[in-house]
Amino acid sequence: MKLKAILIVVFALVLIGIQNGLLRFLGGGVFSLSLAIPCIVFLGLEDGSIESAVTSAGVGYLLDVFAGGPKGLMTFLAVALFLMMRLVGAAIDVRGRTSFAVLSGVGTFLFGLGALLFLRVVSPPELAPGYRLLPRLFLDGLLTGMVAPVIGLVMRWIDGLFKREEPGLLS
Amino acid sequence: MLALLKRYRELLLLLVLLVFSLVTYFAHAKRPSEPSRFDKLILTVTGPIEKSIGWTITGVLRTWQGYVGLRHSHQRAMDLNRQVIDLQVQQQELLQLKEENGRLRQLLGFTESAPERRYLGARVIGVRLDPKGLQILTLDHGSADGVAKMMPVVVAQGVVGRIQNVMPGISEILLLIDRNSSVATRVERSRARANVRGLNRPDVCALDYALRSEDMIEGDLLVTSGTDGIFPRGLPVGKVTNVKRNGRGLYQAADVVPVVDVTRLEEVLIITSAIAPPGASPPSAQNQRQEAVK
Repeated sequence: MKLKAILIVVFALVLIGIQNGLLRFLGGGVFSLSLAIPCIVFLGLEDGSIESAVTSAGVGYLLDVFAGGPKGLMTFLAVALFLMMRLVGAAIDVRGRTSFAVLSGVGTFLFGLGALLFLRVVSPPELAPGYRLLPRLFLDGLLTGMVAPVIGLVMRWIDGLFKREEPGLLS
Repeated sequence: MLALLKRYRELLLLLVLLVFSLVTYFAHAKRPSEPSRFDKLILTVTGPIEKSIGWTITGVLRTWQGYVGLRHSHQRAMDLNRQVIDLQVQQQELLQLKEENGRLRQLLGFTESAPERRYLGARVIGVRLDPKGLQILTLDHGSADGVAKMMPVVVAQGVVGRIQNVMPGISEILLLIDRNSSVATRVERSRARANVRGLNRPDVCALDYALRSEDMIEGDLLVTSGTDGIFPRGLPVGKVTNVKRNGRGLYQAADVVPVVDVTRLEEVLIITSAIAPPGASPPSAQNQRQEAVK
């Protein structure tokens, strides 16, 4: 399981690298992407184990590093998002790429909203991020939701690498 | 207690993660710390990924832009090529016009040199220089334009021939080089008389009836004498070359290089003021001989 967690964190790292590389050419600052967040959404929905929570925290730590802000915020938000998705996964049966895309989009938006709120708490009023960022957060969620199914496919593939086959009744 | 912890192990761990990260955040919020070595390592690891993404996108963009640029270049090259062809055609036309202008200027200068004559400019529209037949050029002017038989045809350089046949819209010149053509001439330098007869060769004619006693040397210019009733006097005909004086006989022999290259004629002048009487036949070799003897 540790290997799976490492693989997912590495995958998230690659996604962040791709995201940074892409955003250099696309958007030009008008929009952004959060490609690592669908990984957390997937972990919350599909696995929900404690190892997945730690993995989510690991992904959050990566986001913290790349965000450049005070450490801990993204980690906290990643774990919170994981928890939320686990609750969603327990409440409703989430199947299909569209559902995953929608939840990834919503999760990304909420992740950004949470970061905005926490940053407002700790920042001086003149430096606090304003709510004018909400449209950008919405666009961020929308775009991330659009590419989330592809990330979900890779995550499913990684997940499949570590799943043991259940012995059937006939075996 | 242990059983309780075991039962809510996951929830507790989640809470620990949440609280720990939140505390960390608030602890660092006021005093942001420098990235650790591990953080720097993580940041460094993504560098190659970002670079490769950048190279890939830049490569794709360059390829695309290059492709689009090449397409435009190709189109532009096609347009320029077309323009070059058009310009070459125009240049060729202009060169032809320039050459034509030069020739016409010469003709004009020629006509102004003898204002008492009347000229009719004509364009050569057909060439028949068959060695087996008559040496004839066809002109685009005929009887409807006032052209008549026996009219002399000249260019600025000299004699071309005379009108042989006339139709309403076209006429034919019997060239100086035709073997049936004979033009009464004089040596410009010594005024010695002789006839220039064609040999059906564009580059050379024969000199007839030049008395042995006449002063004639190679390079002498022969001009029309005006005694044949066709050509006005003083028009250049050719240059004497290859003079041969035999030990006996009445005449000396020589070749004549025509001053007009009939193979390259495009425009000519028909002298219309010296119209021969209707039905007048060209001077025959016999008549010419008699005149030369006189």
